[in-house]
Amino acid sequence: MLESLRAALPSIGSILTSLLGCFVAVAVLRGGVDVAIDAFLAMCWGAFGDFPKFFDGGASAVLLRPLGESATKAALLTLTGLSVAVAFRVGLFNIGAQGQLIVGALAAAVVGAAVELPSPLHVTLCLLASATAGALYALGPALLKRYRGVHEVISTIMLNWVALMLVENWLVTGPLRAVTTGDNSIAGTAQIHESAELPRLAGEVSRLNAGILLAIAAAIVLWLWLSRFVGGFEWRAIGATPAAAQASGMNVGRSFISAMLVSGALAGLGGAVLILGTEQRYPATIGAPYGFDGIAMALIGNGHPLGVLASSLLFGGLRAGGTRMQLFGVHKSFPELIQGLALLLVAARLVWMKLSNRLLPPKGGA
Amino acid sequence: MLLALLDSVLDAAPALVFAAIGATLSERAGVVNVGVEGMMRAGAFGAAAASILMPTPLGVLVGVAAGALVAALHAWLCIHGRSDQVVSGMAINLVMLALGQFLLEAAFSSPAGTPPIEQLPKWLGHSPLTWLAIVLPFVVHFAVTRTPWGLRLRAVGEKPQAVAAMGVRVTRLRFGAVVLSGALAGLGGAQLSTAVLDRFENHMPAGLGFMAVAAMVFGRWTPLGAAGAALFFAFGNALRISLSSSAPGLLEVIPQGVLLALPYALTLVVLALQKPGASRAPAALGQAYDPELR
Repeated sequence: MLESLRAALPSIGSILTSLLGCFVAVAVLRGGVDVAIDAFLAMCWGAFGDFPKFFDGGASAVLLRPLGESATKAALLTLTGLSVAVAFRVGLFNIGAQGQLIVGALAAAVVGAAVELPSPLHVTLCLLASATAGALYALGPALLKRYRGVHEVISTIMLNWVALMLVENWLVTGPLRAVTTGDNSIAGTAQIHESAELPRLAGEVSRLNAGILLAIAAAIVLWLWLSRFVGGFEWRAIGATPAAAQASGMNVGRSFISAMLVSGALAGLGGAVLILGTEQRYPATIGAPYGFDGIAMALIGNGHPLGVLASSLLFGGLRAGGTRMQLFGVHKSFPELIQGLALLLVAARLVWMKLSNRLLPPKGGA
Repeated sequence: MLLALLDSVLDAAPALVFAAIGATLSERAGVVNVGVEGMMRAGAFGAAAASILMPTPLGVLVGVAAGALVAALHAWLCIHGRSDQVVSGMAINLVMLALGQFLLEAAFSSPAGTPPIEQLPKWLGHSPLTWLAIVLPFVVHFAVTRTPWGLRLRAVGEKPQAVAAMGVRVTRLRFGAVVLSGALAGLGGAQLSTAVLDRFENHMPAGLGFMAVAAMVFGRWTPLGAAGAALFFAFGNALRISLSSSAPGLLEVIPQGVLLALPYALTLVVLALQKPGASRAPAALGQAYDPELR
């Protein structure tokens, strides 16, 4: 218990510090502590349900709608976060979650629009297509690392841009562009069939969909794999000390490749959740740097699947609630600033380790 | 048409050249810099915001300082905090992305960009930064290959313990290289907002920082190579833009998106073709300096 608290301290400390820093920033820039408190409360209600309004006799929608938005964002963050985290555990830095998510999203949009199947089958097929596309896109960097010694950070950065340029500047505006009728010429692929949409969990009231269940399941499976299976143990051993793992007979190269495949598949699934859950087609641009958010989630979650899930639920919520801060003159990207600062603070791990050793002295009094 | 092409390269290339040389300096000293994008953004915003209050040339200096300041944070995290250098760089990118939006909203009440400012004056049809971008690669090449500082810089990226044994402070040397790298990235960003355009726009630098990293790798971690690759990428881009207006038929055969992906794909191909172990990356790249190690 003490040990897991010690492990989580840098993340918790970083999140609290950056929340506090941003609170002060709003108070200074927007005229007072009162305004800042109101703005932050509005963000909380927008994130986790408007409880004051609910207890005043509001409909359940005032809880379900914000929770649905939060869960949608959290699902995406969890999947990309797990993608980065799983690569981390074998000692690889997958910066390419963004590119893998893009090809995964495109695969979901294409299969969702081109095929007609009964609903559960169609959704499954789309998810499989996305996971495969993401995994194959991550295979390149893994092979380059294994056989050419190319650092995965460089190759995945390059592949992010290759995916972005090819998909958003060519495929979506060219060959895969939706067939338009009349004057409504919009970039983006055709609408997916209704049978490919992720099922809604709370009816029409809220956008809450099955994506969050998929994300939670992925986190639990990954946690079990890493903590209870020989293969998962090997991944962790290789991540900790590759040379020792190799010397004890583990196949380092093969683990690199299999972990990258899983990592790419998870990012691809993130793309599927984005398309099948909210967008319903590949739009002209997916806009946000979801893959980079995954890096933040993986690190704030300390590379632990359940930690990634927890931080994704928190930041997914803050992002959904962030739109309500606009009423107080704060841009809706504010939660991303909180997230970025938290990541920067987590990066200063040495500082936190000194602090945690002082607060919770390790056994043996070292 | 060729002259028009040259003109647009001279306008577009400097930002990429500065940033690529900056990235090269940091990495030659052994500190990974994938935060170039964020440092450029800081420079672009700083220069534009400052130029509202003061003459634009001074504003550019503020942009340089902003880039250097962000780089100092990166340096502190990597060198004194011994953070993972890639993590720190990516964190800086994310923070700068959000901070730029936040400050735009807070200071100018506009999510799109700052109000227009006066552009840098033009010398012989181009901003002074263009001419600086032509000279600088040679200056940095000389400094890196022919001066004691350059020798130490290269050594600290290959075998920092050896440099320490020589009596040189490894941490100070690396800190300086990273800050200089950020100053150059900031200058590149400032060029975008004061010479290419006349304001800071929220999308800046739109991935140029990552392209600078690609140019550095493509140029095999040398100042002249990085600058050459940056020029090559900028030329390719200018050619694409000019073809899209002069020969639209060609772009139906080769789509724009394919051309846009080409710099990154080419860098990958170059990396894939090299023999394993023949990488020109500095040997101690990415490793925190530990004085206890031998």
